Amino acid sequence: MSEQDLKHFVPTPPRLPATNEQNLLRRIQKQCFNSIGNSLLTISVLVLIYYVAKSFLDWAVFNAVWNAATRRECMDISPDGACWAGVIDWFNGLIYGRYPDEEQWRVNGGVIMGLLWLLPLMTRRIAYRNSILISWITLYPFLGAYMFLGGTFGQDVGIIHMVFTSLAAGYFILLYLNWMLCAAGQSSLPEMVTPLTSRLIRRGQYMNGFLLVWAVLSILCGLVLAQVHLEPVPVDHWGGLFLTLIIASFAITMSIPVGILLALGRRSKLPVIHWLSMMLIELVRAVPLITVLFMAVTLLPIFLPSGAEPNKLSQVLFAVCLFAGAYMAENIRGGLQAIPDGQYEAAQTLGLGYWLTMGLIILPQAMRLMIPNIMTSFISMLKDTTLVSIIGLFDIMLMARNISNDKNWIGLHTEPLALISILFFVMCYGMSQYSLNLEKRLKAHRS
Amino acid sequence: MNFVSPSHPKPGIAHSIFSCLNKDSTRGVVIQAATLGLVLATLLYLFSNSAQNLDRLGLSFGFDFLQTTAGFDISWSLIAYDPSMSYWRVFLVGIVNTLFLSFCVIVFGTILGTIVGILRLSPNPLVSQLARCYVEVVRNVPLLIQIIFWFTTVFSALPPPRSGYGFAGLVFLNNRGFYMPSAVTDMSGWLIAAGSLILLGPLWFLLRGIRRQQRQNGSVSRSYRIAFALWGLVLCGMALIVGSSLRWSVPALQGFNIEGGMFLPSAFGAAFIAMTVYRSAAIAETVRAGMESISKGQHEAAATIGFSRFQTLRLILIPQAIRAIIPPLANSWLVATKDSSLAVAIGFPELVSVFMQTSVNQTGRAIEIIAMVMGFYIVVSLIISYLLNKYNAHMQFKAR
Repeated sequence: MSEQDLKHFVPTPPRLPATNEQNLLRRIQKQCFNSIGNSLLTISVLVLIYYVAKSFLDWAVFNAVWNAATRRECMDISPDGACWAGVIDWFNGLIYGRYPDEEQWRVNGGVIMGLLWLLPLMTRRIAYRNSILISWITLYPFLGAYMFLGGTFGQDVGIIHMVFTSLAAGYFILLYLNWMLCAAGQSSLPEMVTPLTSRLIRRGQYMNGFLLVWAVLSILCGLVLAQVHLEPVPVDHWGGLFLTLIIASFAITMSIPVGILLALGRRSKLPVIHWLSMMLIELVRAVPLITVLFMAVTLLPIFLPSGAEPNKLSQVLFAVCLFAGAYMAENIRGGLQAIPDGQYEAAQTLGLGYWLTMGLIILPQAMRLMIPNIMTSFISMLKDTTLVSIIGLFDIMLMARNISNDKNWIGLHTEPLALISILFFVMCYGMSQYSLNLEKRLKAHRS
Repeated sequence: MNFVSPSHPKPGIAHSIFSCLNKDSTRGVVIQAATLGLVLATLLYLFSNSAQNLDRLGLSFGFDFLQTTAGFDISWSLIAYDPSMSYWRVFLVGIVNTLFLSFCVIVFGTILGTIVGILRLSPNPLVSQLARCYVEVVRNVPLLIQIIFWFTTVFSALPPPRSGYGFAGLVFLNNRGFYMPSAVTDMSGWLIAAGSLILLGPLWFLLRGIRRQQRQNGSVSRSYRIAFALWGLVLCGMALIVGSSLRWSVPALQGFNIEGGMFLPSAFGAAFIAMTVYRSAAIAETVRAGMESISKGQHEAAATIGFSRFQTLRLILIPQAIRAIIPPLANSWLVATKDSSLAVAIGFPELVSVFMQTSVNQTGRAIEIIAMVMGFYIVVSLIISYLLNKYNAHMQFKAR
């Protein structure tokens, strides 16, 4: 065999480097039209999008009627367009339910106050963040309930409610006075009075000043509120988006403490507590929410002493709280399981007891780990509040269905449903995007 | 060395109690006893109240009402029902309707969800974004709104029976519901159920034996083949017997209504479509998460050995992804079963509607009825999670 017979290795010429021009047309061609099948798919999707968008926009915008007195008039103007006039006519009902028109400012006021209470939390660097959150959970409900329910202090409003409402109002004013003073570069109000109190009691100086200022403000608020007369609005007049938000925010806030207690109970080494928590969690999670709601509405009057029948809203809140707590407990348990043993041991080494270990070391980490799941639960709680319409609470869902029973707007189903669908979509999608954002931020913060 | 201090005072009784409480074991006992006592006391209080209230209302506790005649009609049921039947039958009707609805939703929701989940991963951005829009819109609007939307704006807006849609004279769609041909036999349901049990039982054992032999010897022995052929003969024989008594019932317009065939009410259609769509969005996300949990190396390896995209999906990705998908999928099916209770809002006669609403109103036996309904859901969720846990354990990697 000679040298020539041997095959020579001839390298293929090197491929040209990938062109760097990532222009739009090139990318579209590469991703959407790289094969016949894919091109067909792309074209059919485009056609589908065109037809759906066109028919929806035609119905909702171009052929829609915005101004009419009855549904018949709508039909006369444009038979195949949306009749938004009915929705606009009922808009107040959708938001406030059957809350009296002249008292609706109180709903706005109460809700705005609740939001303002939480506003300081948005500022990144603020002292006592937790106390603001805790006060919102424990005190704001009294103030909110007073705003929404109305009544005169000492007559319609019970003594405990009265005291807590005053405390809440006092705290709210203190919060904002402090904030304004700090913004103006002054020392906070409690710090100003601290020299006064420190002559009397030396221990816990700042706390004494704070308590003193809070007490004085609360008494002042109580005195002012006692002069005000708010027209009483009973719970069965509440409705619309307002009621939906009340139930949802109650479920969301109560699910955390209830869930934490149940999760800790389920992880407890004490068999009685372990089994009781587990039974409660599994029982509630195995049945649909609607059966829990029916149970609360039909069984609570039987199980409570005769005459002490709670109103429907309290029954629903009880059911929702139980339900949300059981689901949250499983989220939190997942977080607790993800915490390595070293953290418990380290806490033990420092000499922390059970509650301090949990409160300072374990739970904050567990909750942070579970933010996506917790937010998913919150979103589903918001969606699940629509179920209360089945047992006859006039939430936004039932208000939307009721429009079609109005004699002027008889049969107007689609438009109200479309409107509240969009509303729920905006709220839920916003929440899920916020949760993604939060997750990213906390991850960046950790690493 | 002995370190007994002679001046150490003897602890008092109060002190020894407190030091006892400081011990973990004692404290545990005390806490548990207190919790148990509190729970028992609350239960006792509630039950004594309920006894008083029931007395006041002239009711007694017991399940004897199940034997009494219900006396109200149910708009649609899969099993035979008429108002002269007992409450026990009402319970059964509710269960069967609930299970039928959730079964349909589970099957079609899983199929649709898998398709959407795979589309969501398409390299074509237009397709994946469309799938994403579908998922986001569907899962961010409450299910109840969707059910009512389908019921009021789609199914109720269909024309009445006389001017409804008909296809080839076999299938009809109008504002009452959906009609299709159905097979009717003269044999009782029990006979057919027993027959299929007799057929399916041996088949299961046969297939198991064949598979074991194939794995051990690489071939199947003759006796198994003969047994299999025999089984086939029995199948043909039974099919002949059943087929001879089989008639087709075809729906037809009679007067103002359509008679005959199988009927699905519009409430079923609305609930079914809304729940299938809603479930498919959740399952699509599960499928996507499962697919994305597979490392990129697997895609690349499949591409290296020249697999097409479809082959990659079928042979490489899905068998691995299924392990990550099964647990959340099981959860999704459970939720579908529980969600079927929402059909009460549009009057579909499922368990909550016929039993928890109508029957409670008729009899006032709230405690018993709610316990029965909750018991049913608990049993269903236990069964589903047991079966899927077994399947899950079967599918996971076996660690050796």
